Amino acid sequence: MIKITNLEKFYRTEEVETIALNKLSIEVKTGEFVAIMGPSGCGKSTLLNILGMLDDPDEGSYVFNGIEVAHFTERKRADLRKHNIGFVFQSFNLIDELTVFENVELPLIYTGVPSSERVKRVEEVLDKMQIMHRRNHYPQQLSGGQQQRVAIARAVVNKPKLILADEPTGNLDSSNGNDVMELLTDLNEQGTTIIMVTHSEHDARYSHRIIRLLDGQTVMENIMI
Amino acid sequence: MIFNYVKIAWRNLTKQRLYSFINISGLAVGLAVCIMIMMYVTHEMSYDKFHKNSKRIFIPHASLKLGGSTINMEYLSFVSGPMIKESQPVVESYVRTMGYFKPVIVSKPSAGNEKISEDKLLFADPNFFDFFSFKLISGSVSDVLKKPFQIVLSHDMALKYFGSQSPVGKTIVLKTDSTYTYQVTGVAENCPSNSSIKFNFVASNSSLTTMKEAPQYLGMQNIGPGSFNLYLCLKHTADSALLRRNLDLIAKKDKSFDEEKFALSALPDVHLKYNFSDSSNIKYLKIFPVVAILILLLALFNYMSLSTSRATLRAKEVGVRKVSGASRKTIAVQFYIESALFTCISFIIGYLLCYAFKPWFLNVLDLKIDNSFLYSPVVLCLLVALLLLTILIAGSYPSFVLSAFKPVATLKGKFSKGTGGTVIRKIFTTLQFTISVALIICGLIINKQLYFFRHTDIGINKDNIIMIPVSNSFGNNYPSFKQDVRSIAGVSGIATSHYALFKGYDMFFYSGKTKNDKGVALASLVVDKDFITTMGLQLKYPSIMTIDFSGKNKVLINEVAAEQLHLPVDPVGSKLKSGDKVVGEFKNFNFASLQSAILPLSLSIVPDSSHYFKTNGCVLFAKINAHTNLPTLINAIKNRYSKYDKNTPFNYSFADDTFNEQFKAEDRLAAIFGVFTYITVIMATLGLFGLAAFTIEQRTKEIGVRKILGASVLSINSLISVDFLKLVLLAIVIASPIGWWTMNSWLQGFAYHISIQWWVFVVAALIAIITSVVTIGYHSFRAAIANPVNSLRSE
Repeated sequence: MIKITNLEKFYRTEEVETIALNKLSIEVKTGEFVAIMGPSGCGKSTLLNILGMLDDPDEGSYVFNGIEVAHFTERKRADLRKHNIGFVFQSFNLIDELTVFENVELPLIYTGVPSSERVKRVEEVLDKMQIMHRRNHYPQQLSGGQQQRVAIARAVVNKPKLILADEPTGNLDSSNGNDVMELLTDLNEQGTTIIMVTHSEHDARYSHRIIRLLDGQTVMENIMI
Repeated sequence: MIFNYVKIAWRNLTKQRLYSFINISGLAVGLAVCIMIMMYVTHEMSYDKFHKNSKRIFIPHASLKLGGSTINMEYLSFVSGPMIKESQPVVESYVRTMGYFKPVIVSKPSAGNEKISEDKLLFADPNFFDFFSFKLISGSVSDVLKKPFQIVLSHDMALKYFGSQSPVGKTIVLKTDSTYTYQVTGVAENCPSNSSIKFNFVASNSSLTTMKEAPQYLGMQNIGPGSFNLYLCLKHTADSALLRRNLDLIAKKDKSFDEEKFALSALPDVHLKYNFSDSSNIKYLKIFPVVAILILLLALFNYMSLSTSRATLRAKEVGVRKVSGASRKTIAVQFYIESALFTCISFIIGYLLCYAFKPWFLNVLDLKIDNSFLYSPVVLCLLVALLLLTILIAGSYPSFVLSAFKPVATLKGKFSKGTGGTVIRKIFTTLQFTISVALIICGLIINKQLYFFRHTDIGINKDNIIMIPVSNSFGNNYPSFKQDVRSIAGVSGIATSHYALFKGYDMFFYSGKTKNDKGVALASLVVDKDFITTMGLQLKYPSIMTIDFSGKNKVLINEVAAEQLHLPVDPVGSKLKSGDKVVGEFKNFNFASLQSAILPLSLSIVPDSSHYFKTNGCVLFAKINAHTNLPTLINAIKNRYSKYDKNTPFNYSFADDTFNEQFKAEDRLAAIFGVFTYITVIMATLGLFGLAAFTIEQRTKEIGVRKILGASVLSINSLISVDFLKLVLLAIVIASPIGWWTMNSWLQGFAYHISIQWWVFVVAALIAIITSVVTIGYHSFRAAIANPVNSLRSE
């Protein structure tokens, strides 16, 4: 599904140039659950942003579903993104002014799903995440665990082929964290490819494969049995 | 999707109440000013366009040169119309009107023939209602003014004098020079407010020609100056150039003046370009749109500045939306819709504000605008255009800035702190304060000049003088009335003049002897000898005791007249061309206005019993002691007045009020300017408020670090304030010369004016500085006392 080759990303300020990704090559197959680990500043988040088409690489190739997307325009990336990729963040990133239902509905609006279909799909996914009873609440009225469920609901409502999760349990206690990991595992078992950045060895164990990064390069790959 | 946008916009609006209030109210005030001025300007521009033939109607007026002076004569002789029509085939038809220049006394039959003074009596040709598009409610267009002493009443007048009954077929008694009975033949709709022709009564011209006073109105038997407004309807608009050339050829044959020319103005241009009587409003027509656009731009800029300064709060939302599939375009559309919502609310409030303050505005400008005009298609289209334009501008910058946020950065809580936005904000804040300071300077100087006008010594005693117009009905009784008034306790002096002071004078022209010796236009007032002492005229030659007022044709002249007529240093005994003998010279005094220099003036001295006052009527001046009980005194004068004249309503005015009325235009300017200044200062303050909020939000971390390192509240306050005060000081430096230059040019328009003093600039600067210190202080103090731990954690 994903193949990156010799990917490079630099951050430049006036005097300093920092290499975030250094000729990185990774391949992820459809249906895989991959965890990316490494110390702060190793390039995990940069990689995830490029994979999610939120950012573009400076050098190298990024093939998504057989299409070279490394140098797509912002509009093209946005278009490809909204149909194929769901995001889950450490800090949930829900819109405070929208209710649970409206937050989850958002991706469907941007992909032009008709209103009646949207209601059906949002209710379906809220039900699945067991937060249907909170549909009219605002994010700040929910616990951290509930907020992350909403965020996952929002990530999957459009039935994306790929879910990118950036430390999805980072802001949660262990019990809520485990629930979230169970949810991701269920999604993966239903066929969704998942790439997750994490600091937690515990969470990484839910994946099929761990890629360890250091200074923008792969240093080790563990296959989980 | 749009519903979703509106929903979130509404929730944002209600959540951030203070911010929304500042944003909406600022824009609403800006829009209110803009709508009001737009209506005013559109109304002024729409004058006379409602006539069906307005584009083909032209008005000839004579421009006469005599000596150094050029005089525009709006009025032409009675025969000019038919003679022009006969000789010029391009003229399709014409109509002549004559506005009766004095108030008309109307008897009200329903109130025991009570005498009421009315204005706007128009004498007109029979085709008046066909030629123009004034609508008749009753009566036939072709018949209403056919015969002598037929009259058409305006709807208001019909209601006033005949109540709900139809006045058609009834009679009404009007006293002009003499009293005549007219037959009412029709009722016309009231003149639209955008008509330069105004009437309460339209009487047939044939009445005028059969009156015994006819000769004084009909005048010359050739094309030239006279008493009538002449309107010519040409066959084609393009014929006007040819007609003007032909009229000039006719004028050249007339040798009464050094030069006689004809100007031809199109009817719709008359109000703005050829308004010789009251040009005060036209001055504003140039200033107001500029101010309106400036205020709207300031309001819009504030809106944009405040919207983008809240960007940090919206950045995460933009990130989430982008991650959820929104493109930059959809985000831009969202913020446009949000701006549209804010703008629409502001527009509605602005319109209501405009509606609420309309009476005040119109009152200050001494204007009337029909309600029907305010809802006319032109005005409605302009309102829609203004709304769309405002939405377009208001939404542009916020949607551009906010849609450009990179999702990666915003979701991590860091978003670009580009300096571009800050620089733009700084430029606009400086601009806002520049405009504010310049307006404050202008406002202070305008008010100082007005104070000067009112309190300067004009060389004559104008205080405590009551002026009472006396009609020719007094006949031989005027001297007795004058003595009666003199005997009232509290009256210390009396005098007579044929014009009220500051209300007019006659002009006589003395042509020069040679080319270099330009002729003199001499203003003339007919007065009695008491005028000199009562009004406190200062005689230069000789003393009042030695002047012999007996005999006819005695005149006193002012210093300017003596100089321009090249009379000897002591002009007493000189004879003028008119045959008048100069018996004295008095020091110059302002008998007209302070706006213009003093003209040459002659005072013809006649006894109060003179035939001149008897036939033309006059004005009695009564000097009253200070601290006299005015109502009692006026009542006493009124009682004596009604002994002699029961047919003319008693009327009076104060000389100083009449004097002050001359500054109506400047008074209006000062009042409107005052409001504009307040609004701009408030706008600038709001702008600064937004900029301070924005900057402090960006400097939270710096402030936190400084506090941890030991900075005091005061030092942080001054750290933040200094940056802003620099902008305000820059604004003061830019605004001062602009204000000085503008006001200096304005003051040059007055013959008598103040000099601009340095303290005006200091006061304006202080107002700007104090306002900004208070505004910035609110934010900087809050930032300075905040717990640094919170600000650093948020980073």
